Amino acid sequence: MDIDKYLAAVLDSQNLPEDSVELEQLRIHRADVEALLKREFPKAHIRYGGSKAKGPLIRDAYDLDIICYFDHDDTTAGKTLKDIYGSVQAALAKHYEVQTKTSALRLRSKDAATLGQDFHIDVVPGRYVDESNGDCFIYQNSAEKERLKTNLDLHIQHVRDSGVSDAIRLLKLWKVRRSLGIKQFVFDLLVIKLLDQRKSANLSAELKHVWQELCDAAEPLSVEDPANPGGNDLSKVLDGATWSEHSSAARRTLNSIEQFGWEQVYGPIVKVSAEERTEKLRAAAAAVVTPTKAWCGNA
Amino acid sequence: MKKLWHRANAALLASLDEDLRGPYPDLGVVAENECVYLRGSFPIICDGVVLDRYQIEVRIPRNFPHALPTLREIGGRIPWNIDRHVNTNGEACPLVPEEWLLEPRRESILCFLNGPVRDFFVAQSLVEVGQPWPFPWRPHGTDGLYQAYGELLGTHDRAVIRKYLECLSKDAVKGHWECPCGSGNKLRHCHLNDVQVVRAKIPPSVARQALQRLVRQAGQT
Repeated sequence: MDIDKYLAAVLDSQNLPEDSVELEQLRIHRADVEALLKREFPKAHIRYGGSKAKGPLIRDAYDLDIICYFDHDDTTAGKTLKDIYGSVQAALAKHYEVQTKTSALRLRSKDAATLGQDFHIDVVPGRYVDESNGDCFIYQNSAEKERLKTNLDLHIQHVRDSGVSDAIRLLKLWKVRRSLGIKQFVFDLLVIKLLDQRKSANLSAELKHVWQELCDAAEPLSVEDPANPGGNDLSKVLDGATWSEHSSAARRTLNSIEQFGWEQVYGPIVKVSAEERTEKLRAAAAAVVTPTKAWCGNA
Repeated sequence: MKKLWHRANAALLASLDEDLRGPYPDLGVVAENECVYLRGSFPIICDGVVLDRYQIEVRIPRNFPHALPTLREIGGRIPWNIDRHVNTNGEACPLVPEEWLLEPRRESILCFLNGPVRDFFVAQSLVEVGQPWPFPWRPHGTDGLYQAYGELLGTHDRAVIRKYLECLSKDAVKGHWECPCGSGNKLRHCHLNDVQVVRAKIPPSVARQALQRLVRQAGQT
C-alpha cells in the first residue's frame, strides 16, 4: 500500500465517532464532573479543552480537559492558585480517585468494582488574569515557577489553524504508544514549529522531518507558548532528559522504517467487525498450548 | 552488594532493546531508580490483525531473573479487582510468581511477554466483551499459592507444603533432618531422593520466596 494511503488508514482507524461507546462514556462522566464542580463552586466558569476541543483527538488517547476557572477577584475557592488547586482537588476527591499532575487533576474511579479505571478526564483549575476572562493563571505543583499564564482559546486556535493537524494526530499516536512523557500541549507546539515551513509536504515526509529534527538536535529546541510569548518558560517541560528520551525514540522509529517499513511504526491496519474480533480472540486463546494460570494476591 | 543485572552487563540492556524492536516496537526500555522498565503499547496480534492494544509497564527487578518482573496496565482500562486478576495497587497477577521462576525460559523477557503477559491480555479483551476468562486460573490469595506449590511439590497437604519449602529453603539438605513429609523419620530413611529431585527444580532462592509469600499472604488474609 502507498505510504500516505496507509497513514490515512491509520488516521481513519483513530477516529472516534460521536456515537462511539468511548465518547458516550466520556459525556456521562463529563456531566457528572461538571455537576459536582457547579455544586461545589457555583461561580466557577466551566469549559472544555484538551484534544477533543483542539481537534487532534485519537482513539488511543481521547482525553477531555474540564477547565474550572474562577474570576480574577473571586476567592471562594481560595486566595492563591495553590489554594484553588487544593480546593478543587478536595472537592473531586469526595467522588473520585484524584491523581495530581503538574497543573491538572486526573480522575479515576474509586468504586470497588471499577477501581483504578481512568475516566479520561483532566480537571484544570485556574483564575482569570482580569475581567476580560481571556488569559488565565494556572497553578504548577511540580515546577520552579508556581504560576503559568495561559489562554485556552489561543491554544485551541493555534492548533486548529496550524494546517498540520493530521501530522499532530499521528505524532500524538506515536508518542502515546511509546508512553513518552512530554506534555501534549508542548508537543503540539513543537510539531507546529518544526513543520512551519513544510506544510505542503506529504504526511510521511512531515513525520520523517519531525523525527529527524528530534534526532539531530543535541539540545532541546525552544518552543514559544502562543498564550504568553516570551513569558512562559517551557524549558523545564522540555528538559534534557525528556528531549533525550524523545530523541532516541525518534531514532528507533526512523531505523524501524528503514529496516521493516512503516507498518512497524503504526501496526497493520486491517478492519474486522466486532464479531470477527471476538472470534479471533477466542481462537488466539484456544491456540495457547500451556496457558499460564492467573491469580490475585489481594483476596 | 551484588551489581544490578543491567549495570553488571550493559550489553544485556542493549540486547533487550534490540530483541523487542521486531515484535514489540512500541515498548521502550528505560533504566530508572535502580530498575529497568518497559513501557508502551502492547499489541495482541493474530493472523496479522491487531485485535487489541494495552498500555503497559513491566518493571524488571534489580535481582532479575531471580525475581519475577511485575506487570501493570497503565492506560486505566482494566479495573483493579480480583475478578480481573489485578491487585488493588494496580499490579497485575498473570501467574503465581514462583511458577515462572521455575521455567527454563525465565531469563527471557520476550518469553515473559509472549507467554504470561499475552495470555493475560487476551483474556482481558475477551472478558471486556462479555466472554468468560478463557484459561484455567488459580484461586485467589493463599489458596492459590498452596495450589500452585502443591502441584510443584506433588502434595496438597498445606503443612507438608510449608515443611517442604522450609527444607528446600536451606542451602544444603542434611540426611539427619526430619523428613518434611511428616512421617517422623530421618530424611535419609524417607524422602531424601524425592527432595533431591525437587531441589533440582526448585532452587533455595525460589523456595525462600515462596515461603515468604505464604507467610506474607497469610498475614494479609
